[in-house]
Amino acid sequence: MKLPLSGLCSILLSTMMCMTFVGCNVVRINLNTPITQDEVAFIVPGQTTLADVIDKLGTPDSITDSQTGVVATYRFLDMKYSRVNFGWLLRPWTPVDPDLIISRTGFGADAFELLCNSDWVVMHQSFLRHLSGPRFNPSPF
Amino acid sequence: MLFFKPLIGTIIVLVLVLTQGCAFNRGTLGDDIRPEAVAAIKKATTTKAEVLSLLGAPDRLLQVNGRDVFQYYRYDAKAGSLLLIVINFSRLSIKSDDLFVILNREGIVEDVISSKRTDGLEFRFWPFGE
Repeated sequence: MKLPLSGLCSILLSTMMCMTFVGCNVVRINLNTPITQDEVAFIVPGQTTLADVIDKLGTPDSITDSQTGVVATYRFLDMKYSRVNFGWLLRPWTPVDPDLIISRTGFGADAFELLCNSDWVVMHQSFLRHLSGPRFNPSPF
Repeated sequence: MLFFKPLIGTIIVLVLVLTQGCAFNRGTLGDDIRPEAVAAIKKATTTKAEVLSLLGAPDRLLQVNGRDVFQYYRYDAKAGSLLLIVINFSRLSIKSDDLFVILNREGIVEDVISSKRTDGLEFRFWPFGE
């Protein structure tokens, strides 16, 4: 039976799509929900207490002691990993599974830190911005 | 009608091949922090010994602001994967429940800080966007 032109086109298009995405992996890992600048805009250094912050943002991930007071830290992680295996292109024509893989991982670590005095009043606040680099770019070069 | 049969067949085969797999995975670290145990801790009343009997030994013992702080935590991770043979999408979401019990120098509970972030944790597959 002869395939109609539209059927042939759809098969070719689908095959091209498959060949383009052959052996691709896209993975993302998130730790906690990131806090935005808007969400911490209510904090007024010297007035807002740690209890007020906890009411709005929840419990910090860690509370540590320092020479000048207490440090409360909210942590986030955003990891992006993408991988392409060009060896998949050869699989139909070879008895072995050849691999030609390129991949790249980007770690975006962020934290919101609060320095409180001995009365649990927030004195300083700051974001640690180590955001991830290219978005799902598998090229390591 | 004959014109569409191969096209429909092709589409069905492609859909079956491309959407043939998905996976759900879950991992936890630590025991669930029981809400009734947290509710039983009263400020200025409950002692260190009572906290230990209610919640067990803390995961971490801290010295903050001249006070002892018991930290209890639990992590929950949910991963969803779409395994489409030629392209795979995966997303792993991790959240934690944390409880801090602040004790004064006399060993009496001064404050209790807790939140349960894992309640809103969902299986997600799509790695793009927020």
